[in-house]
Amino acid sequence: MDILTVNNLTKKFKDKIAVNNISFSLQEGEILGLLGPNGAGKTTTLQMLLGVLTPTNGSVDYFGKNLLQNRTEILEMVNFSSTYTKLPWRLTVKENLTFISYLYDIKNRRNRIEEIIKIFKIEKLINQPMTELSAGQLTRVNLAKAFINYPKILLLDEPTASLDPDVATYIRDFLLEERKKFNVSIIITSHNMAEVEEVCDRVIFINNGKIIANDTPIGLAKTIEISHIELLVKDGLKRTEEFCQKQSYTYKIDGRYIVIDVKEREIAQFLRDLMDKGVYYDEISINKPTLEDYFLQMTRKI
Amino acid sequence: MKIHRIYAVVLRFLYLFRRSYDRMSDAFYWPTIDLLLWGLTSIYFRSYMPDASKIMLVIMSGILFWIIVWRGQYEITVNLLEDLWNENLINMFVSPLKFGEWIWAFLVIGVIKALMSFSFAMLMVFVLYKVKILFFGYYFLPIIALLLMTGWAVGFFVAGLILRYGTKVQTFAWTVVALISPFSAIYYPITILPNWAQTVAKFIPTSYVFEGAREIIIKGKISPDKLIISFILNCAYLILSLWFLRNSFNKVLNKGLVKVY
Repeated sequence: MDILTVNNLTKKFKDKIAVNNISFSLQEGEILGLLGPNGAGKTTTLQMLLGVLTPTNGSVDYFGKNLLQNRTEILEMVNFSSTYTKLPWRLTVKENLTFISYLYDIKNRRNRIEEIIKIFKIEKLINQPMTELSAGQLTRVNLAKAFINYPKILLLDEPTASLDPDVATYIRDFLLEERKKFNVSIIITSHNMAEVEEVCDRVIFINNGKIIANDTPIGLAKTIEISHIELLVKDGLKRTEEFCQKQSYTYKIDGRYIVIDVKEREIAQFLRDLMDKGVYYDEISINKPTLEDYFLQMTRKI
Repeated sequence: MKIHRIYAVVLRFLYLFRRSYDRMSDAFYWPTIDLLLWGLTSIYFRSYMPDASKIMLVIMSGILFWIIVWRGQYEITVNLLEDLWNENLINMFVSPLKFGEWIWAFLVIGVIKALMSFSFAMLMVFVLYKVKILFFGYYFLPIIALLLMTGWAVGFFVAGLILRYGTKVQTFAWTVVALISPFSAIYYPITILPNWAQTVAKFIPTSYVFEGAREIIIKGKISPDKLIISFILNCAYLILSLWFLRNSFNKVLNKGLVKVY
């Protein structure tokens, strides 16, 4: 069931079209990744989805209701977190969570604040002003704020930016767990392609304000034909390099390692050719194309 | 309109108040300095002009009542600036908070802080100079209400300017209200102003209130016309300034709340 429907959304700023007639939907329990290079229109789209930027055209409907006409009712069930917005910095973590809990009229306020503090492991920070927190701690507090109202839909702008890898993994697992337990729907923007591949069911790729792809992460990666063959060459590194140059393969050498981009259907022939040239290798790994490859290819085209 | 959301915004600013020495000094330090300077000046004048027995009362009540106007506008504009400095405006408006509730919160916090500063200053006047301001009796209510209304109208207008032009015009938060003070006849009658300034004063609601307050001090009563004219002017300015603020907010929504700084 679609719980968010975006129809023909457009935003023009004077002489620039930031978002150009985009339409998409979000299903209940779905995690959707919003990808695109810097300035593609992701943040502008998120702002329009949150009602803090008026669209030039088009509509945003949550739960079948128009955002502009039912803003308050809808925003009670939606929340947002961004690494790039801040909570009042002279207030302590607890004071911030307390006043925000009143904004959302949370029942059993104290219990919920204690619960959310434990979930995001910020127990030791509660009496500290925001100014004293590190970037990673601020991100965790922002996420705590975003979950405080048991949201049905979450919009997360770079949710794990500036987090240590172990905390980022914990947060990703937590998002997947929340989705499983409460069927929360999430829209994520991220520059971490591995993260998007791991948590997103579907990815929308935006560029120049337009949606240019809308598919699963695997589906998008599959549109890339190139695989990466990594070889630890025992004998014949020079011959391998000359062969790659002759065949116009893209490659990268690091010591005795060489990584060559080869079309999937040409891999077998490529390896046979190397054998014919007397190239011997100790290790081989063939890496299938990833979402990152897709992202890089799309951004290079642009 | 939900009380819990208004309370949330008020709470946010009350938390800030107790953690912010600059806000504390605005509430208590500056009124104290004003009272000391002007109080001592009044004592000096009185020693040379024994006939001017009410000079102390006129000046002290002027200072005290101006605190109401000042804090009314200050709480609107500086609290808006706090949200801009903290880049917190987006957090407020991605929540269910309505524009009207946000405004109500500013008004409530304005009343709380104005009464806090006013009561403190009133106590100081009594402690330092043994002057009792309470003799205004039930006139206090309309006087305070009308002065707050003027403060709010100026506050909404300046807040609208800040939303439109960002923090580069933040100095208006401290300066614009001072523009109306010479025409408000806080310490002197309107008649001593030049003609053109007297004309301007006719359009300033606070001028009627301060003239009225002096009437109470001198004659023991106030002409109701003054309060009525002040009320009508205040209503008109409040409507216009609220319209301007709402219009500025809509303009901001067109360029994005995150772009206001």
